[in-house]
Amino acid sequence: MSQVRVPTPLRGYVAGQSEVEVASASVAEALQELVERYPALQPHLFGEAGELRPYINLFVNDQDVRSLHGQQTPLTNGDRLMILPSIAGGARPGGLRGVDHNALRANQGSIIALLLTAFVLDAPGLATGVGAVMLLGALTGKIGFLPIYWALRRLRLAGPDILQDNPEPHQFSQGLGAVVLLGGAAAFVAGAPGLGWGLAWLVIALASLNLFGGFCAGCAVYYWFNRLGLPGFSQSPPPGIFPGRRPQPPVV
Amino acid sequence: MTLHISEVHLRAIEAHAEAHYPEEGAGLILGDEVGERREARELLPLPNRREAVERGHRYEIDPLDTLAAEDQADALGLKVIAVFHSHPDHPAAPSQTDVHFAVPWYSYLITSVRSGRAHETRAWRLDESEAGMQEERLEVKPAAERRAGDPDTLIASGAQQEEG
Repeated sequence: MSQVRVPTPLRGYVAGQSEVEVASASVAEALQELVERYPALQPHLFGEAGELRPYINLFVNDQDVRSLHGQQTPLTNGDRLMILPSIAGGARPGGLRGVDHNALRANQGSIIALLLTAFVLDAPGLATGVGAVMLLGALTGKIGFLPIYWALRRLRLAGPDILQDNPEPHQFSQGLGAVVLLGGAAAFVAGAPGLGWGLAWLVIALASLNLFGGFCAGCAVYYWFNRLGLPGFSQSPPPGIFPGRRPQPPVV
Repeated sequence: MTLHISEVHLRAIEAHAEAHYPEEGAGLILGDEVGERREARELLPLPNRREAVERGHRYEIDPLDTLAAEDQADALGLKVIAVFHSHPDHPAAPSQTDVHFAVPWYSYLITSVRSGRAHETRAWRLDESEAGMQEERLEVKPAAERRAGDPDTLIASGAQQEEG
């Protein structure tokens, strides 16, 4: 048996208890057992889509389940599952917004595919064009290859993946990639194709790190500038997220 | 809902806000609730765990500090009834960020600090739609009216906790 620790704001829904004993073998099962026994708790733990409410933290003993196996974290005899409210805020308006990470992935995939094609066909003009589209996106506050994402959506090959995040670092990252590619274009013009392709491969590598590894190097640079207090870099990483790492989806 | 607080506690919250200026200070309030009346009994000033560059306009309390506060409340037969934090050079009203992160049920006290001096403290609570916060009545009990035996100066134990 395990104990579930209930925070003060939710105790009214569990007959005033601070701890409830459960027989479940995982965090997800324990939450399910809890809402089956106390149905009034359901809307306070879970949103309409079944996702955990944003102000709920889950700890097993003193470990955040996000650093363990999320809601699949096992519970063994004597474990304590803590439901803890997230207490935060502050004077400045704004905060995290929904960012569609599948739109970002489509952008990264397009950049990688087009740059690889440019390299294989030895077409510096195509690599420069990719840089120009990225620069246009960064300057207009949009994702450069957004039309490709919308085409994938229309073909039902992609759906949204909305995460609570800051859009600005991703724009900055896109702008940084554009500057590197346009630097490559200058190298081609100056008769240094080796440097030009080297810079294109750098963008391919960093876009791949983001697409496959979930780490946005340009975003990390943005957050470092934020930490140094540079003007214009006003956003800080989402709470608990290493600068540049993709934010975690809501624990469902 | 009316939140009753002693003048001593309110002054302690405002002193805490001034001491943390130009950063935001934060903490929890333990107390009890009977019907529509909440009474603050103890203050627990806690570290603002946001990174230094953000603490001027953001606060966040470590969930494990919240757990320790819950344990302390249970041991004293009280509840964590409210959160307090300061707004340096901003009004004592909830920002979009405050509303976004607000937890239902808690009272939220916001102290406006202007140029290092506490200006005013107001109490708020997330409304049922969770789209905004409604102001709560804050009833301040003057220090002279305190009866012998009233709990009051427990901010000292919280201050130790903050250092830890």
